[in-house]
Amino acid sequence: MNHDIFIKKVRLNCFRESKVPGEFLLQMRCPGGMVDADMLDIVKHISKTWGDGNFHFGTRQTFDICRIKYEDIPAVNKYLKQYIEEVEIEECGVNMASIAGEPAEWDPESGYPTIGARNISACIGDYHCVCADVNTFELARKIEPLIFPSHYHIKINISGCPNDCNKAHFCDFGIIGCAKMEYHPERCIGCGLCAKICKSHATRVLQLNEATGKIEKDPCCCVGCGECTRHCPTSAWTRKSTKFYKVIIGGRTGRQTPRAGKMFLNWATEETIIAVLSNWQKFSAWVMDYKPEYLHGGHLIDRAGYKKFKELMLDGVTLNPECLVAEDVYWHETEYRSNYNVKELSTHHHAGPTEEKK
Amino acid sequence: MSYKFTKEEAAGLFAKLSEKFDIYAPIRFKDAGRYAETDIIKYGKISSFDEGVYNEKSTYPMKEVLSPIQQALFYFTEDEYRESKCSTKPMLVFARPCDINAMKVQAKIYAGNGGFIDMYYERMRERVHYALLECNADDDTCFCVSMGTNTTDDYDAAFRFTDDAILIDAKDSAFEALVKDGKACDFKPEFVKENITKVTLPVIEDKETLNKLKAHPMWEQFNGRCISCGACTIACSTCTCFTTRDIIYGDNQEVGERRRVSASCQVDGFTTVAGGGSYRKTAGDKMRFKMLHKFHDYKARFKDSDMCVGCGRCINRCPELISITETLKKMNAALEEIKKEK
Repeated sequence: MNHDIFIKKVRLNCFRESKVPGEFLLQMRCPGGMVDADMLDIVKHISKTWGDGNFHFGTRQTFDICRIKYEDIPAVNKYLKQYIEEVEIEECGVNMASIAGEPAEWDPESGYPTIGARNISACIGDYHCVCADVNTFELARKIEPLIFPSHYHIKINISGCPNDCNKAHFCDFGIIGCAKMEYHPERCIGCGLCAKICKSHATRVLQLNEATGKIEKDPCCCVGCGECTRHCPTSAWTRKSTKFYKVIIGGRTGRQTPRAGKMFLNWATEETIIAVLSNWQKFSAWVMDYKPEYLHGGHLIDRAGYKKFKELMLDGVTLNPECLVAEDVYWHETEYRSNYNVKELSTHHHAGPTEEKK
Repeated sequence: MSYKFTKEEAAGLFAKLSEKFDIYAPIRFKDAGRYAETDIIKYGKISSFDEGVYNEKSTYPMKEVLSPIQQALFYFTEDEYRESKCSTKPMLVFARPCDINAMKVQAKIYAGNGGFIDMYYERMRERVHYALLECNADDDTCFCVSMGTNTTDDYDAAFRFTDDAILIDAKDSAFEALVKDGKACDFKPEFVKENITKVTLPVIEDKETLNKLKAHPMWEQFNGRCISCGACTIACSTCTCFTTRDIIYGDNQEVGERRRVSASCQVDGFTTVAGGGSYRKTAGDKMRFKMLHKFHDYKARFKDSDMCVGCGRCINRCPELISITETLKKMNAALEEIKKEK
């Protein structure tokens, strides 16, 4: 087949090129990994009509449909209208006629306008899970309008509890739900189950004082998982109603320097998270000198340096009083090639606006 | 006589009742449940009718009003001591028939067992007046009818809270004097007549059968299922086990407090004796003990009833989804087996 396709443009439309020339894979966003099961009819129709009849669960919880012919993309986009309206506009309140928060034209039959900000993935959270501390997909739906549509890349993973099944430690901006516990000693029978569980499942911050039959806690190292509350037979441990989150930044996989992320915020409330993430577009624009080039979010943090990241992301944010912020971050990377970062000065990357824009 | 109070009159009624009573009812604690965004309902003193939860089974039983999880018994200083104080003001406790009937069981243990009356229990019991709540029994964990605990006449007045009114059937004449300002009505409380779940109580004919039931392999399944957390016994309307503990204030060994704290036959350490010996080490052994205690031993001693009122809270609270009614079925099946072997 003789093709002449501007692949990058097609990719921005959320169709990824195949090894088979002229075929593409559609990635349908699914913020928080949760949609009404009726949406599966749309997935099925697209796959059966224009794809190969299969669908693949994308690693970031997108519905991926393979083998769509380049020529069929306009028809697929037209059909996607209902899905985008229901999932993005109705569920998440996304302004589709914008890019990175700025007004931009968008034809509802033209499909996804950007691929930069990736689908926000989430575990099932407290909608179902006995371990979870927060509702993950509701948070994802609140964050979606802050990051999408935008050409600036960011991967956000949300985990409902510090068990971090959804690997908030391996994405640009990982969010981990947690809880602050309240101890009601008058309900404690001194069975010690919480201390046992904390030791085997968490950070062993609880200890049964044999003299008093009550629990002593090292609050500084509590990870906020809620295992004590889950196991307490008397409700002597309860969660405070306010939901808290840890934010883990800069985690990534990749061919060069994969690494687990590091904690940026601890005990942030939802309001704080929303306020901080509202600065992501501004931060990305600054690092990229206002050119939305494709670069992973974690690399943006590297280029700016953590302290600049912290300055820009916390700009104008009023942190909740409990919120703790990392003063510095010391990355630990896997360097596939030793001293990977040691190279000619002229090849070093630049962050921030060029001289004349300053 | 029965009386009706409108929503607008509720505050006045509450104020009047409060002059005579401390009023206790189930209260909702939002997000305080075992899992995120789940609530618990437990008993506490209320300061308005709105605080109470009347149409939903409480997570924790009414017994906590009379025998709280933790209670100071006395305070000591060198060679002197003083008993903990207790108000003498009567209490009006909103309760369902199962919870009221459970107090008969508790009283057997606390007030009279072995010829001894527990003063701390008795002084609370003397204060208690029940305000009967009707029960909708829409929960398939309930089996009060099978236990014969679906009705009671041990109450001063029956209450029904509707969307726009409070209906009261005053049974006690002293109580009636407090509510006779209300508009006369024909409210009579209704009792549950049938539960979704019904149980057949096991009949253990003789000691030999009892020993065979104890040795039956049915208990072994709990070794893999039950985590021995004790949530069932804390949620139980009838369980009374407690332990006492001396708390020393600071570094002076001569000053402190003796308190009692609920205990559980399911929790490690319950059977630990001087010298470190321990009985009923496995979850299956503990479950066997609990079931036989409730559905054999208690009745063998006190004759009148089993040590269960069918409130089903143990089922509601078990994190491992172990059902006491299904366990009873298994006991019955095991007894059938034992009978056939004979």
